[in-house]
Amino acid sequence: MENFLPVLLLLFFAVCLCIGIYTVSHILGPKNPNASKLSTYECGVEPEGSARVPFKTHFYLVAVLFLLFDVEGVFFIPWAIIYRDSLKEGTDILIAGGLYMALLVLALSYIFRKRLLRLH
Amino acid sequence: MTDGIFIAIGIFTLLCGSSVILCKSPVYSAFSLILSFFGLAGLYILLESPFIAVIQVLVYTGAIVVLFVYVVMLMNPNSSGAYRNWIFMIVSAFLAWAVSLYLLKALTLGVAPAVGGAHALSLKEVATLLFTKYLWPFEILSIFLVVMIVAVFALAKQSKETPNE
Amino acid sequence: MDQFDFIVLAVKTLVILVLIIQVVPVMIYLERKIAALIQDRPGPNRVGPLGLLQPVADALKLLMKEDPVPSNVNKFLFQIAPFLAVMPACLSLAALPLGDFFEIGDRKYLLQIADLNVGLLYIFAIGSLGIYGTLFGGWASNNKFSLIGAMRSASQIVSYEIPLALGVTGAVMMYGTLSLREMVFKQSGLLLGVLPNWGVFYQPLGFLVFFVAAFAETNRLPFDLPETEAELVAGFHTEYGSMSFASFFMAEYMAMTTMSAVMTTVYFGGWQIPYLSDEALFSMIGSRNILALIQVAVFFTKVMVFMCIYVWVRWTLPRFRFDQLMKLSWGNLIPIGLINIVLTAIGLYFWDKR
Repeated sequence: MENFLPVLLLLFFAVCLCIGIYTVSHILGPKNPNASKLSTYECGVEPEGSARVPFKTHFYLVAVLFLLFDVEGVFFIPWAIIYRDSLKEGTDILIAGGLYMALLVLALSYIFRKRLLRLH
Repeated sequence: MTDGIFIAIGIFTLLCGSSVILCKSPVYSAFSLILSFFGLAGLYILLESPFIAVIQVLVYTGAIVVLFVYVVMLMNPNSSGAYRNWIFMIVSAFLAWAVSLYLLKALTLGVAPAVGGAHALSLKEVATLLFTKYLWPFEILSIFLVVMIVAVFALAKQSKETPNE
Repeated sequence: MDQFDFIVLAVKTLVILVLIIQVVPVMIYLERKIAALIQDRPGPNRVGPLGLLQPVADALKLLMKEDPVPSNVNKFLFQIAPFLAVMPACLSLAALPLGDFFEIGDRKYLLQIADLNVGLLYIFAIGSLGIYGTLFGGWASNNKFSLIGAMRSASQIVSYEIPLALGVTGAVMMYGTLSLREMVFKQSGLLLGVLPNWGVFYQPLGFLVFFVAAFAETNRLPFDLPETEAELVAGFHTEYGSMSFASFFMAEYMAMTTMSAVMTTVYFGGWQIPYLSDEALFSMIGSRNILALIQVAVFFTKVMVFMCIYVWVRWTLPRFRFDQLMKLSWGNLIPIGLINIVLTAIGLYFWDKR
């Protein structure tokens, strides 16, 4: 926990930095807004309706797959840390990692097989 | 000093947590959820388990909430008038209260959390336990993840059959 | 820890933060100069000798500009989004080791904000929060270009986070630690008597995956689809002006610096000079603090080399198409990352058996 105290300090400095940037730019910058300045900039064309429209679900699919693979990928890291030490005591760690890897490869090949990531 | 930090982070987490359910706009709820998960990571650090804290930020804040934000931004659910049913709200509040009470009981009667004197596990010890003693639960969980990928595919295929995806 | 230690800690943290932020103006200048060199034109040469004061002029100009908040945006999220981008960029510096240690009296202080035993995962975890600045900024702008930019950016960052983690797993297997500091120590000495004992020589495949994914994570060309000037105006920051825009810019450059620093630390021996061990150098100089300064200089030199490669690539390669981008991550980088893990596992098995 002691180790994370500097991180808290860094967080404090980062917040100060953000507040500083915001204040300085507000003090120095001019403020004379007008209607056209405050309108949405879509290349000079009048904005057609709100931008908050339902979007293609494909992006959501990518996010779900990311979530699953991220969890699997992250748990490779504890395995990687102890790999070399455990190898001295036998090949159990190799089998554990191999099983895990086999599952990951299975999932990945399923995605390719079903063409889940095709963009059309 | 540790107590002070604990109280500060605890209050921050609670405030953000309550604003998740009190905010009317789902985007603000998602935003508060990010902050409250971040506070939760801070609490894990105070419990001397930085590995769990980092996983909390990486998986929950960095991945799961991204999904929530995606849903909010892609679907644009109408924020007003959703589930403003009083009976529904009271029943769900009661259920949530009962579940948390049960969890609290399980926690206090079961394994005491490693506050203070208890030995906190180092990163290598956690990893060793995960791949020796708890290897089979771990592998079964990863099978679940694969199953979920299949489920995702099934859902995505359904949405493709409807005309406007 | 007494009061003196705490003050030293605070000052050290502030100095390291300022040092890394200073990379931003240096890079703006270098980026414009290298771009000019590649395109055979003079580049900035009006402000100060050789145009050296150009970044100062840029910063001043941005500070003096108006920062309008368009009328139909989500005001709170619109204003906070740039800081959501800057904060993770600042926080992820904490685990980077700039050098070994310096001395005040007989006390030793590490040249690192915090020596975390989960260092590498910490950087990834905090780095993964950078996505929110883009997502909220793009959504709050209520502009179609911004929304498309934000969505593209999010899917891209999300897709390339996995190869990033898989690429570095091979190196973690080799070092058996996540502490960046210990990784640097494990890379001292020579390999086969000729090469420096750097991670890149053991993990070329892992480095390649990490290197490519790092470009995509930082939204740099050839992966700058979120910003594509020609089609999306500027993507998620179309509506931003003044320092809000500059904050996004700063966050991007700081993320690049962090990525370069991680590559330096994990694969290129960190602060160490090849063929010259720290102890040999110390016996030549005789002062720990001067040694520390040299180490920081070496570290930043290595980081700057990577930053220049970023710029070089930007002005050399054309942009990817979105489906190519997805295919590169899921179809190429992730399988290569997995193969690298298998190869490393087999390699280590025989290496340790010797």
